Amino acid sequence: MTHVSIQELTKVYPGATEPSLDRLSLEIPTGELTALLGPSGCGKTTTMKMIAGLLEPTSGDVCFDGRSVLRDKPENRGVVMVFQNYLLFPYMSVADNVGFGLKMRKTDPAEIKRRVGEMLDLVKLPDLGDRKPSALSGGQQQRIALARALIVQPNVLLLDEPLSNLDAHLRFEMRDLIRSLQQEMGITTIFVTHDQEEAVVLADRVALILDGQMKQYEKADVFYKRPVDEATARFFGGHNFIPGHSNGRAFDCALGKLVLPEGAKSGAGKLTFRPENVRIGHDADGENNLDAVIEDIIYLGTQTRLKLRVGDTALEAVVNPNEIENHPKGGNLPIHMPRTTLWVIE
Amino acid sequence: MSDRMKIFLLLLPAMSIIVVLFFGGLLIGLMRSFNYMPVIGLTEPDLSAYASVFTDREFYYSFLLTFHIAFTSTVISSILAIGAALLLRRNFIGRGVVNFLFQLNLTVPHLVGAIGILYLFSQSGSFARLAAEFGMIQRPSDFPALVFDPYAIGIILQYVWKEIPFIGVIVLANMQSIGEDYESVARSLGASKWQTFRHVLLPLIFPGVLSASVMVFAFTFGAYEIPAILGANFPAALPVLAYRKYTDVDLAARPEAMAMAIVIALLSALMIYFYVRYSRRRIRG
Repeated sequence: MTHVSIQELTKVYPGATEPSLDRLSLEIPTGELTALLGPSGCGKTTTMKMIAGLLEPTSGDVCFDGRSVLRDKPENRGVVMVFQNYLLFPYMSVADNVGFGLKMRKTDPAEIKRRVGEMLDLVKLPDLGDRKPSALSGGQQQRIALARALIVQPNVLLLDEPLSNLDAHLRFEMRDLIRSLQQEMGITTIFVTHDQEEAVVLADRVALILDGQMKQYEKADVFYKRPVDEATARFFGGHNFIPGHSNGRAFDCALGKLVLPEGAKSGAGKLTFRPENVRIGHDADGENNLDAVIEDIIYLGTQTRLKLRVGDTALEAVVNPNEIENHPKGGNLPIHMPRTTLWVIE
Repeated sequence: MSDRMKIFLLLLPAMSIIVVLFFGGLLIGLMRSFNYMPVIGLTEPDLSAYASVFTDREFYYSFLLTFHIAFTSTVISSILAIGAALLLRRNFIGRGVVNFLFQLNLTVPHLVGAIGILYLFSQSGSFARLAAEFGMIQRPSDFPALVFDPYAIGIILQYVWKEIPFIGVIVLANMQSIGEDYESVARSLGASKWQTFRHVLLPLIFPGVLSASVMVFAFTFGAYEIPAILGANFPAALPVLAYRKYTDVDLAARPEAMAMAIVIALLSALMIYFYVRYSRRRIRG
């Protein structure tokens, strides 16, 4: 049960001119599962290593329950980090790997054996204790790495790209396992990923880091509905950014005057909306109706991506394939955008 | 041409050298050690050479001395090499220079090193003279016997000096390919620095240390020139003893020299076998 507070954390590697991480601040409430999301090289793993005490920050602070832990050695912080490539000790059996943390604490061997058994049951690999890690599949190694971390009952669990090395069908299994274990044990958990989908399916809250700086820290759905800026929206698959001017109630741009939801920003800015929120057909009340031309149709299996043009403005929409069966490329397509799906950014 | 045939042909030159020179030499040595030399009319093999080797007290003294030299130099240079590799893998200013200096004596021949040791450490050597000059000892000959001494300190010194960079370079490369992530995992699981070294890094670099130290052991057990230059007359190291027998004016001593060479080869193979078995269990078990 640990509240993790990261304050203005900065890391400049020796010889580097730009900081790898620039004044990152985050509050992670007790027992929550938080994702640090960002492209490779944005400082996510650096952040993790600094929380774990494996790397010294250039400036800033890491506090657990209000107390700075920067002076604590890594083995005394109660933080366990699970690396992306699992790093099971290759010369030890699976059981010895899982029991490693307890052995280092000089726990009684009989007790270690009992708890290793429990952990192997928990990750649903009860019969693999005698094997060597090299005899396990990637998914199994991942679960053993998780068991090895959880057996020491850490206050804070750090996961580096926990799902990225797994096949699609294993990802959901692993996701469910991580979530259920994390909630059962109430461990404050932080994981890093470059995959927005991984962040969204796993985390309570997501912190987006771009260029070493935190862009936004919110529940996952907010990134889709109300991104802070274009870079954030783009990272989450946003495509439509139309410059214009907002008066707080309507947005004046090349598409005409579109009605905005309550709480929208005033002044010059860009209108953004998700491709999947573009509706086919006109709205009966006549609100935010547009007439588009279909420039291209890209069939993606369960969805279809449309490249549209309204006047000189290009738009993208993602629709259900059935909805546009009778609309050929080059034809006209009436669309509308419900006001709640619109959002203004700077 | 089939792949198998190609591989066979490609390996042929190397293999023929190994087979002809190594096994051929071994075979001739073996035959002569059994007093079997049809060319000069010896057609009845016997074990008399082995009998006289094993009944000679000097052989046992020499064996103990040679084992002491090989074992002590291997252990000391392995430990110091691991320590050096631990320091050298860190990032620090001037690492390149230190690394270069560390590996420099790999290029110096053993003989040159031995002569250096002789000049520096013998009782008429530079250190002895300096110590006398500064009044630490009365005469240079009061300097402790480090060369030609019964404990073979000079020989061990030479081997340690020469083998640290050899083992160190192998271990350092090994550590660099392993990276530091395993140790990070161990630290975050609650292992102290020492525990991390003992339970994680050491077992990971162990195969490299093992093969390097086995090479050093085999070399120091069988090498002739260093104990010949820096060693005492009695007991002499086994290879020195074997060579003396071989060059004896009495040709009848030759089979004994061959028997001794065979025994050296078998003993070092046997000791390496036990060393590998035992240490593997200790470090990784």
